[in-house]
This record gives sequence, structure tokens and C-alpha cells, in this order.
Amino acid sequence: MNRLSQIISAIAINLPALAAASANQPAALEIAFTGIETPTGNIMMAVFDSEMAYNGKGAPVRASMVAANSAEVKTTLEGLPAGKYAIKLFHDVDGDGKMRTNPFGIPIEPFAFSNNAVGTMGEASWTDASFEVNVGATSHRIVIQ
Amino acid sequence: MTPEMTIELNRRAFLGSSLLAGAAIITPDQAFAGSAPAGWTLGVADIDADIPQAAMTLIDGRVPAGFAGTLYRNGPAKFRRSGGQAGHWFDGDGMVRKFDIRGGGATLAARFVDTPKRRLETKLDAIVQPGFGTPSGPGSTLSGPDDTNSANTSMLHIGGELMALWEGGSPTLLDPQTLATKGFKTFRPDLKQMPFLAHPRVEADGTVWNLGGGGNAAIIWKLSSTGALAKAETLKLPRRSYFHDFTATARHLIIVLQPWLQEEFKFPLSTGMAWRPELGTQVMVIEKDDLSKRRIFELPAFAFFHLGDGWEESDGTIRFDGCFEADPTFGQRAASALLRGEHIRAPSPILTQVALYPNGKAQMQSAGIAAEFPANDKRVAGLPRRYTAHVGHYRSTPFPHAVGLWDWQKGRDDAYDFGDNHLVEEFVFAPRGGGERDGWLIGTTLNLTEKRTELHMIDARNVRSGPVASFAAGMPLPLTFHGIFVGA
Repeated sequence: MNRLSQIISAIAINLPALAAASANQPAALEIAFTGIETPTGNIMMAVFDSEMAYNGKGAPVRASMVAANSAEVKTTLEGLPAGKYAIKLFHDVDGDGKMRTNPFGIPIEPFAFSNNAVGTMGEASWTDASFEVNVGATSHRIVIQ
Repeated sequence: MTPEMTIELNRRAFLGSSLLAGAAIITPDQAFAGSAPAGWTLGVADIDADIPQAAMTLIDGRVPAGFAGTLYRNGPAKFRRSGGQAGHWFDGDGMVRKFDIRGGGATLAARFVDTPKRRLETKLDAIVQPGFGTPSGPGSTLSGPDDTNSANTSMLHIGGELMALWEGGSPTLLDPQTLATKGFKTFRPDLKQMPFLAHPRVEADGTVWNLGGGGNAAIIWKLSSTGALAKAETLKLPRRSYFHDFTATARHLIIVLQPWLQEEFKFPLSTGMAWRPELGTQVMVIEKDDLSKRRIFELPAFAFFHLGDGWEESDGTIRFDGCFEADPTFGQRAASALLRGEHIRAPSPILTQVALYPNGKAQMQSAGIAAEFPANDKRVAGLPRRYTAHVGHYRSTPFPHAVGLWDWQKGRDDAYDFGDNHLVEEFVFAPRGGGERDGWLIGTTLNLTEKRTELHMIDARNVRSGPVASFAAGMPLPLTFHGIFVGA
């Protein structure tokens, strides 16, 4: 083994350790919600840190409510470990805490996913909605339509 | 990928004022560049832009003195983009045609309904929104049915509002004069995105009943003559039948449940539907005043799209007519093939009358003629009647060549054949005088020889003599599905 390959293998061995270390560093995620048409009620948001939890087999790591009192509102989630996340949200226009549907079960309050990912007659996939939150500050914009 | 690059959920487009921005209007010669295939395929050709209002040319006869009104017609007029084509005739973008007849003359204007589907597909220059026979494409967004609402099937004029109808989602409001799109009609906030069929039944006093289908459930809509929502109730159905139309008597709603069943919910919708003739056809009769009072009648299997108004006789027998097919080959396959220029022979729709007897038995009586688009005098909607207007004389093309008026009492047809070079569209009844046949049949044809759309007015008392007045447009427009006549 020559010296160059020794250096490369040393970096490779240490990468998982570096990643583990950074996951313990606090990160801040600033989220801007734009395109709010009716400035009433709240943005109801759930943040997931795994595909399993996102798909309903686990709890969100954060759930928060942001007053939707103008066309664009922001919130910051402090102290998230760096890593991969996805967000589901709906705009609870009437403030009743529920996502309203019509009698056939079609949502009639605006909803959105991180990355502005979209689904076809359902939720966007984890693959499309997930994004990296890095050590330090990460910002993300979600258009509510 | 940045959020900006992502194709956005486009719900704001139909909720907001952005829909009020009109589509560009360009001149007809620009509109038709490169879109004039030969033969009957002209009936399913693409139109690329709106048609500004222009006078039509009187080519035969004259309009009876004092006659005035507007024929609104709707039909798909954009099927193909660089990124692929629609998979079914039913899935093209709706274009509303406005034929104004007054002072002995006529004008034509046509404008696309500016739907979220059309906006997205224009932006992508691709057909991506799924439908009856069209799969989803890359960039498709679907948070509810109205995202793929093509607003292409018929029209409703109520309480001064004009609506372009589809069947799987909301009506779309249009300006009755300019045809500018104003957004989806929401009858009540909790009923957004609910299905509203393109065949509302309008009573003589203007009351509207309609249906919307959702698997084994239906919503029943009732609007007052001013357009206000009077009732919206959901009910369970005994099977997941596909229905494009329903009918009514003065006292009943009649839901015909053909054995063409929605066995799976997937796109294209028609691929989740299966033909189960062994199950026969069921007819569900519901009392308008008490939707819990329901009866089911059994009939042999048939497929159908369209029904005529129904009525009840003094002994309680209920009758209605419709255009029934031996199987749904047309909707399943032939109507898709049209867009590829192929003519697949499908069983002819046969004008048939159904009788539902008080003892629970049901019978069918065939008129023995191939016919579609049944229409009748709306002054007798829900009441006993004798005549049914229709199109017919199917020959070498997939489309009819004649308009007729069938007499159920004498068992004969009074028809006018426009000839092989005309594809005949639906004719609707515009009343005059007091008798059931006192009126005009008003409709359009596509003249394949002259490559132009024509407007015709025929005396319902004397159909075989042909139009009393005919006008020619300066261009061919693809075939429409349905329309309404609004008297001046």
C-alpha cells in the first residue's frame, strides 16, 4: 500500500465518525411559508427525520403551528440535529385544527410538502420531499397553494 | 433541485384572480397554422388559440323574423403538444363556442376555458394531467380533481352565470359575453372539488338537479332557478358504476347503473373500469322530496352515455329514453383511437325507451335506429312527451351525418341528412309557440369539403326539409360534445 492510498483509506475510515460527530451539533432550520392566499388560521406543520416516520410508522420529531397572518410567514426550528428531514403541512384556514375535506375525502384546505414536492392524489414521497439540514443555519421555502 | 425549479402545486391558479387574466387572442390564420388533417380527423384536430368574435356568412335561407338568442357549445379542442398527446377524445382542453343569432345574422367567438390543467400543460408544452384515457406524465400535479378538470363537456346558464361543465370536478365560471374564465364555481366551501356531471336536469321552472359520482357514492345537487344551492346530499349506490348522465321525472331522480364498473381507482380512469354484462343494468329511482325513498329495477346489460328526460304516467309507470350500446367499446377504445386517426367499429348507440312499472318489472323498447345526443323540449322536462331529437345516420366515419326527431307514438323518424361531407354535432331545442314540436332544432356541423364549421336552424315540425337558415364560419372547429341555447 503506497502512502497516497493510506491517506485515502484513513479519510474513508474516519468519515462515518465525522458524520456522527456533526449529527450531535445543533442546527437551526428557518422555514418561510409563501403564497398564503387567505391570511387567517395557522400553518400546521409536522417535521419527520425518517422515511418510516414520514410514512406514518412513527412520530414527527417536531410539530408546530405558525400563525398564517400574512402572505408570507416564517418560523425557525432550533436545536435540530443535522441530517435528513421532510415536512408535511397544511394551512388550517378556518383554525379548527383539522384539514378539511369535502364529502368524498378530497382536501379543501391548502397543503404542501418540503421541497414543494407534489404527490398524485396523495402525499409527496419521502424521496421527493426530504432535504438536508446542515450544522449551522439552513433555510427552506415552501409555497402554499 | 431548488424549490423554484420544482413544478409547483398549482392550486392558487384556480382559487385566485390570476384566472381573470384573459388568454391571448390572435387571428384565425395564426390559430390554424399546421393543424388541418384531412377527412373526418378534422373533427378531432387541435386549435391553438382563441377565436375572436366574427360575423358568420349566411349560406342558405333566412332566420325567422324576431328570432334571437345564443347557442353556447363546449368541446375539446387541444389534444396534442410537443410532449405527447391526450389518450382519449374526452380529455382535450375545453373550448367554448358562442354563436349569437340576432337581427337575421350570426356571429361566432370561441375561447378556451383557462383551467389549471391547460395552464400547466401550456407551461410544460406537454400533456401530463391524467384523465379518462390519458395517463399522468412527468410534471403532473394532482392535489384534487380540479387540477385535471378539462371543463370540456357542456354548459349551464343559471342565475345569470355561465358555467363550463366537466363531470369529475367543479363547474368553471365564464363571463357570458367575453367567455373569459373566472375560476371554479364553489356552491359551498365544504363542497369544493366535488363532482358535478355535465348533464344537469333542468325543470321547466328553472330548478336544476344534478349528480356527481364517486365510486359507490353519489352527490345529489339541487339548485334553485336563481342558482342558489338548495340541496347537496350524498348517498350510497349499490355498485361502482360509471355514469356520464342521469335523468329525472317531475318527482324522481333516475340513476342508470350500467355494468361498466369502476373496479379500481387509477389513471387513466378507463383502465380501472371493467365491463361485467353478467350483472345486468340496474336502474335506481329516488324520490326528489325524500332521497331515502329508493327503488331498484333490473334490466339486461347495456352501456350508455346519454339519456333523455323521463316522465311518470298516471298509473305510476316511469318512462325515459336513452342511446344504449351493446358494450362500452366506444368509450373504452374507439374514442381513444379517434385521436390517432383510427376508426374502430363499436356497437351503435340505439335509441331505446325504458319503462319501469309499479309492479317492479322493467322493459326496454328499441326505436330501431342508431342515434346519439337525445334532446327534447325543456318546457316538458319531467312530463310526458312524444318526441326525442337526436343525431344519427352513422356511415363510413365515426360520426353521425343527420339530425332527426323521433316520434315515439307513431314509431317513425323525421330526419335530415347533411351528406357524407358533414359531421353532425348535437342539436338542441329552442322553443316557440305552445306545442311540443313548436320550436327549432339548432346545432352545428363540420363541413369537411369546405373545411368550416356551420350553424343550422331547422323547424322541428319539418326536419326532413332541412335548415331554414345556415351560416358558415371562417374556419373549421373540432367537434363539440354538448351545448345550450339561451333565448334573448
